[in-house]
Amino acid sequence: MISFINVDCTFGKKAGIKNVNFTINSGEFVFLTGPSGAGKSTILRLIYMDLFPEKGKVSIRNFDSSTIRSHEIPFLRRRVGMIFQDFNLLQDRDVYENVALSLYVSHYKTREIKNRVYEVLNQVGLGHRVHFYPSELSGGEQQRVAVARAIVKEPVVLLADEPTGNLDPRVSLELINLLNKINQRGTAIIVATHNYALIPRIPNARLFQMEEGEVTKIT
Amino acid sequence: MTVFWFLIKEGFRGLARSNYSSAFSIIIITLSIVLLGFGYVAARDTLFLVDHVRAQFDVDIFLHSSATPGEIDAFGKMLAEMNKIQSITYISPDSAAERFKQEFGEDIFDILDYNPLPPSFTIRLKSEFRNLAGIEEISGIVSGISLVDEAKYRKNFLILLEKYQRYTLATVFTVFAFLTLVSVLLISNSIKMTIVARRDVISTMKLVGATNNFIRAPFLIEGTLQGFIGAMFASIFIALVFYFLNNYLQTIISYRAIVSYRFYAGIILFGGALGLTGSTRAIRKFLK
Repeated sequence: MISFINVDCTFGKKAGIKNVNFTINSGEFVFLTGPSGAGKSTILRLIYMDLFPEKGKVSIRNFDSSTIRSHEIPFLRRRVGMIFQDFNLLQDRDVYENVALSLYVSHYKTREIKNRVYEVLNQVGLGHRVHFYPSELSGGEQQRVAVARAIVKEPVVLLADEPTGNLDPRVSLELINLLNKINQRGTAIIVATHNYALIPRIPNARLFQMEEGEVTKIT
Repeated sequence: MTVFWFLIKEGFRGLARSNYSSAFSIIIITLSIVLLGFGYVAARDTLFLVDHVRAQFDVDIFLHSSATPGEIDAFGKMLAEMNKIQSITYISPDSAAERFKQEFGEDIFDILDYNPLPPSFTIRLKSEFRNLAGIEEISGIVSGISLVDEAKYRKNFLILLEKYQRYTLATVFTVFAFLTLVSVLLISNSIKMTIVARRDVISTMKLVGATNNFIRAPFLIEGTLQGFIGAMFASIFIALVFYFLNNYLQTIISYRAIVSYRFYAGIILFGGALGLTGSTRAIRKFLK
């Protein structure tokens, strides 16, 4: 479903990734680990085509980095969910509006938006926080809103960039359990993290170890 | 339909949120449109007055006193065949003497013992030729005819009139262009500030798969709303001023400003167009 073939992507003198090759299949759970600057976030950005390779190519289902046009990128992103360390929630919108935004941009109908948003908020355990604003929620709850926003459009893959970076260990484990549940429903998950404590929680996950822009080990 | 209402709501939400920059834009649009509205009415009425004065412009063609009735008749027929002429009035020496008596209260025969007034024609050109160029052309043609002694019209006054007409149009056009430009730039800057303040919304929308048109629409709606609101305030102000002018200042000035509902509708549409242009300009730079 996702393949990197001989991918190079650097930012001038700053590190990027070099000659990366891998394939991730539908429904897989993958951890990208390594120190800061190893290229984990670069890989995620290449998947949602915020970056493009200088060499090689990245493919996600029918989308190919070497042929995709700029007006097609939004359609790729509707099939890819994303969560970040700092949640990226809109502070002036409540939980419902933050989650519904994903569906409005994809031109869903009002009734379907409502049904889906309530359903997904119940899934992530926030059915009682529908009309709360992000500032009224804990860090863990905010990250769960971000997860809800990412999965409400039923993506083929969910990308998580240091999702536990701002969460305490207990909440981090809750989040990883939530991601595991989502994965069991068939969504591929790629988590970039240097929180090694999370890895044993998903026994079937593949582990991509990265160093200085290269994938040094895949287990 | 869901998306349409979502975008409209986003436009209103943006307007409410960027209250200071929006208020500033709305004030500027209001002021600009008030000036444009008054300028338009003043220019329209000035030009109407000029046209009205010009409508009274005639060319008097004096023939030699020796002209025979046959020659006068042939000359009159020649004038009638000219397609630029609207009306022709023949004034015989006797009619001219009668007119002299009416205007000056004395009989020309009591002063001179004979009638020195020549036969003449007064012609009025069709409205589209009733200007300096048209009048000069006709008077040039008839002056070249040996029967004609002189073709007279108020040339200097006509030159002055046309000069003021040109100045009025140039001034109105310049002020109009300047105020339109200023309004568009200010709306554009206001929307730019809004965009900068809402980078988080834009980047989140991009992340969840919004197209550029989807991101652009609320900002265009917000700019257009600013234009409409500013224009509505301007319309109310102009209507109040005209109401006051027409109802309370009639004893002091004899001018009466008359504008139709179409004028106000035009102002409001113009305001919306200003807002749309300004916001289009602003968002284009951010979403290439």
